[in-house]
Amino acid sequence: MNNLPEDCIAKILSLTSPRDVCRSSAVSRCFRSAADSDHVWNHFLPSEFPEDFRAPEGLPTKKHLFFSLVHNPLLLHDSQLSFSLERSTGNKCYMMAARALNITWGHDQRYWQWISLPDARFKEVAALKMVWWLDITGKINISLLSDDTLYAAYLVFKWNLDPYGFRQPVEASLVLAGTEHDDVQPSMVSLMHNPGSEQGQRAELRSDDWYEVQLGQFFKRRGDMGEIEMSLKETKRPFEKKGLIVHGIEIRPVLP
Amino acid sequence: MSEADMAIIKPEMMMKSYIWLETTDGSIQQVEQEIAMYCPMICHEVLQKGLGAGSSKNCAISLPQRVNPAMLSLILDYCRFHQVPGRSNKERKVHDEKFIRMDTKRLCELASAADSLQLKPLVDLSSRALARIIEGKTPEEIREIFHLPDDLTEEEKLEPLKNLMDDPRIRLLNRLYAKKRKELKEREKLKGKEVEERVDERSVDDLLSFINGKDHKVVKTSKSKKKNKKRKEHKNKVSHNLHSKQQGVQIVDETASSLGGVSNLLSMEEDIFSLKTDSEDGYVDDGMDPVLKEMLDREVEDFARRLNSSWVLSSGQERQPVHFSINGNGATRRLTAIDD
Repeated sequence: MNNLPEDCIAKILSLTSPRDVCRSSAVSRCFRSAADSDHVWNHFLPSEFPEDFRAPEGLPTKKHLFFSLVHNPLLLHDSQLSFSLERSTGNKCYMMAARALNITWGHDQRYWQWISLPDARFKEVAALKMVWWLDITGKINISLLSDDTLYAAYLVFKWNLDPYGFRQPVEASLVLAGTEHDDVQPSMVSLMHNPGSEQGQRAELRSDDWYEVQLGQFFKRRGDMGEIEMSLKETKRPFEKKGLIVHGIEIRPVLP
Repeated sequence: MSEADMAIIKPEMMMKSYIWLETTDGSIQQVEQEIAMYCPMICHEVLQKGLGAGSSKNCAISLPQRVNPAMLSLILDYCRFHQVPGRSNKERKVHDEKFIRMDTKRLCELASAADSLQLKPLVDLSSRALARIIEGKTPEEIREIFHLPDDLTEEEKLEPLKNLMDDPRIRLLNRLYAKKRKELKEREKLKGKEVEERVDERSVDDLLSFINGKDHKVVKTSKSKKKNKKRKEHKNKVSHNLHSKQQGVQIVDETASSLGGVSNLLSMEEDIFSLKTDSEDGYVDDGMDPVLKEMLDREVEDFARRLNSSWVLSSGQERQPVHFSINGNGATRRLTAIDD
């Protein structure tokens, strides 16, 4: 290995993963030089960025850009969409703000309120006062995502002081472009822990102290186009729902 | 041209033409032209220098230094297989998988030689094989496999962490530093009473100050007491403050372990975060002896290195306790709680 030129080592490292490359920078001097090179980290950065993406200023190398995007999501699309990278692969992750979603009755102050929370990524989150017809839908263009990757969509939410009406599972669905709505079979997910009546996906606590529940999964192939529609609904039971606070919908790769 | 000339030319065209290649050790090989020309570098040499190049022993094409005779024959085997146009993709793939099976040293030489001959498909093949070897290995393992020198200083090994440290990481490191010290102190507690008594004394101070309502003062007094290394004096003060030490010790111990631990953590975090609370001579003394401190410093450095290299820091893991294990002689063991 000693007689391999640095650009050969860089080429070899670019065929591993960001984690392996980080480890390599502690091996030896020549490895470090190759491991820190822009050639390698350029390979892990997405080949295509969203249209209104602007790289943050003051980052000296591609490696810095990579980790900046991993740790500090960028706000795009009028601050309603956050963009970041998944750190073990460099795949693109997004989170749509509640304002970017279609929340039925969301414009009506009697049912939903828009508040600002300090621990939210976006300026506003949607706080449910009371509603009978719960219907939250988000759409995203699949071409924004990384090729050949399995993705999952999650509703990110939390509860206010006294939520009501969520003990039973609710309907979640994820529909790819071109699918007839009649063909869609929603899955049941549980927003609240309720032993005995839980079905399908359950809500999990995230590291940022919000909850998330998986709405569905899909595989993005090269050249896929069109919109994906993700939704959470509860419109069949004749009682009110209260106390849900919606942060947004996050779309990120499924890790093995 | 006359018929006679045509007759002469034809057989020559039917004959295989050879190219002569010379490696840096001086040995010369004769290779079928079509096989040698599969390598872009050789191809360029022939075209650049005119048709005469490589046509005889005397004007053999010199190959780059990184190509030794063993590698040359390997590469020529590769070329011999692939330059045949009729093979299917599957056949080629199967051949390549077999071809690439060799020990790591030869694999490196092959990659190097293929690169200098600009034979891209073989460079890709050998690079991918080497990448598979590197994946998932620790720096020590990589050094061993490739016989690389350990020529980075400890500081340099930590540098990647410093360069890319976001605030959360600095905070985590400091928090863990504090936690480790607390753990070490607790360990010391099990060994001897002296530390206990220091802890006792602080907790009593805390209690007193709480009663008297002077929180701020307590921090300063406890720090000034930290500066004072006369342990016997501490002992006496404690015995003065408590009515009957022997009776009260058990009860105070229990409260001490909970209160003292917290106040330790609190005061240590203050040490780290605020420069104002440093003593006048700028020396941050939290009452631990230098040997322990050195041990801690090494532990933290080691951990910081692993923070960078083993991807400990995911925001989910910030909240979980980190378990260290330290041998008696200060050597560190791998972190077991954080496994990827």
